[in-house]
Amino acid sequence: MVKLIEKFIPPEQWRIPVIILLGIIVGLGLFLFRISNAASYLSDKSETCINCHVMNPQYATWNHSSHREVANCNDCHVPHDNVFNTYFFKAKDGMRHATIFTLRAEPQVIFIKDAGKKVVQQNCIRCHSRFLTDNLAVSNLSNLMSDRTERQCLECHRETPHGRVNSLASVAHARVPKHESIVPGWLNDLMKNTKK
Amino acid sequence: MESKKKTLRNWLLFLATVVVVFILGLFASSIIERRAETEYVYKPMVKIKQSEPRNEVWGQNFPREYQSYMKTSESDFRSKYNGNAMIDMLEVDPRLVVLWTGYAFSKDYSQSRGHYYAIDDVRNTLRTGGPTGPDDGPQPTTCWACKSTDVPRMMNQAGITEFYKGKWSRLGPEIVNPIGCSDCRNAENMNLQISRPALIEAYQRMGKDITKASHQEMRSLVCAQCHVEYYFDKKKVEGANYLTFPWDNGFSVDSIEAYYDRIQFTDWTHGLSKAPMLKAQHPDFEVYKTGVHAARGVSCADCHMPYISEGGQKFTDHHIQSPLNNIANSCQVCHRQETDRLLKDVYERQDRIIESRDKLEELLVRAHVEAKKAWDLGASDEQMKASLWDIRHAQWRWDYAAAGHGNSFHSPVEISRVISTGITRAQEARIKIARVLAQLGFNQEVPYPDITTKAKAQEFIGLPMDKLKQEKEIFIQNLLPKWLEEAKKREEGWGVTYN
Repeated sequence: MVKLIEKFIPPEQWRIPVIILLGIIVGLGLFLFRISNAASYLSDKSETCINCHVMNPQYATWNHSSHREVANCNDCHVPHDNVFNTYFFKAKDGMRHATIFTLRAEPQVIFIKDAGKKVVQQNCIRCHSRFLTDNLAVSNLSNLMSDRTERQCLECHRETPHGRVNSLASVAHARVPKHESIVPGWLNDLMKNTKK
Repeated sequence: MESKKKTLRNWLLFLATVVVVFILGLFASSIIERRAETEYVYKPMVKIKQSEPRNEVWGQNFPREYQSYMKTSESDFRSKYNGNAMIDMLEVDPRLVVLWTGYAFSKDYSQSRGHYYAIDDVRNTLRTGGPTGPDDGPQPTTCWACKSTDVPRMMNQAGITEFYKGKWSRLGPEIVNPIGCSDCRNAENMNLQISRPALIEAYQRMGKDITKASHQEMRSLVCAQCHVEYYFDKKKVEGANYLTFPWDNGFSVDSIEAYYDRIQFTDWTHGLSKAPMLKAQHPDFEVYKTGVHAARGVSCADCHMPYISEGGQKFTDHHIQSPLNNIANSCQVCHRQETDRLLKDVYERQDRIIESRDKLEELLVRAHVEAKKAWDLGASDEQMKASLWDIRHAQWRWDYAAAGHGNSFHSPVEISRVISTGITRAQEARIKIARVLAQLGFNQEVPYPDITTKAKAQEFIGLPMDKLKQEKEIFIQNLLPKWLEEAKKREEGWGVTYN
């Protein structure tokens, strides 16, 4: 093992250029981390999901729905059965989104995939389980059993919470929070001053 | 051989590094490019200057929002007590005439129409009188403060204090565009903004910074620029009626009352009872803040400007109106009950509040006429002082509850409390007056005046209605056309810049 690492240590006269090169790579990596707002992906803020503007319609509709006050994007769209599954799913979904976004392959109208649907269904139940086990409903609604085991909540509650219209162009003037400039304020001011 | 291998390996390493850095660079550039896309989503048709007052110019960039805003011109909806049509409230409830004796509201007071009519209605009301020139008429310029997008323009142009100086008529030719886009929007970045200094100043006096407000808070605060209790501070700057919000002690009916008492502020002296009166304006924001919807984070815009979709587009409905005319998009976003059930919930609250408010109103009329009787019998200032102070507080509480739009729904519990404390104070006043009357040798019921209609009530307080109407008519015939002509000429000179 030590030998393997030693193999990568360059000869004396090469060290400085290699350090500089590695510095460039790490620096570029950090720059990527910063401009892609990567740290935000660890949070549960809904604003993270509009780091790229593709999800603006979903953000704007959620922000005008009753779920705004009680649930963020992750509450519904990421599993919450255990913490490993939560981050595994989040990472998997995130990589897929990042790839498609980078390739500019996003469709005009985004539909939820099967894996996502299952997660949403589980999360509907997670908060609203009371409705499914309500004694009055169980004894009075003959098809409750089949509905709650064989069907999806969203089959009927399709307007919840995003509504049915969600194309990329559907919320032209929605006021969604924008990125703050990654250029620090003092630098911005300085550049403005020199322009004058 | 060995060294050749090494050279090859080194070259490969070099190339691999180049590829890695190149790809990292590509990613960085791609992210930057796509970040920049968000900035270009909004492609305006016309250039909108800061404080552009003409709503139709903004409307070219935002046709859906503008068209829905124009629906505030509709007058076809009546709820149980209100709606969007004009209702002559003095006709509905002639007791108001007596309560406001000696004050302009006794001349004319109507349930307001949509924002579209803000200017028409303030020109037409008898309260603004019939000015014949720029320095004539009963009201100050400050009465324009909430009516028009021309107000921020004029404040920019002449300064805030200058705006508050002079007669209402002075700014007649300048103020022609009704409440609209630039009242709430920053033309540069289209963000919500506060365009009226009174709200910013009130926040400063409370030690709060309004620029720190979140977007959700702003969706109520832009309304709170106008839909609040206010008064004209005549002492702040000589010759100016400085628009001020009395929030230094807090938003509640009691703290505002304490504030007015402390600064010895009086809107007018009552024509019958000579009580030092307060007129509540429309403490909509203050009352809303005490309600359950505010406590759950619901903003004004959530119900009064709900999200709607039209074709493939979703946008905020700028048809600002009673949510009762659009229950599906407002209430039912959160409440899954049937429309009729929700309507019933609202009307039940209104019915109950109106019941006790009516009682308070009757008590106030009685208190005023009884006080007048005492004066007529020769009561002294000293004898009357305490009861007049009670009348002031009782009517303030009645008005705080009555003057708002939708108070009895926004916060039924608080409004019930306000009215019941008003009833206590009104009865307190009447007991004190009864004692004075007894001391003066009068120990009977003072007859309740015949005020079954607006005309009878106005006659009872001695208002020369024919003269007032005639003055208004002359103003509409003579001065108003000149204002409109001047405004038209000015706006033609501005033009519109297309991108």
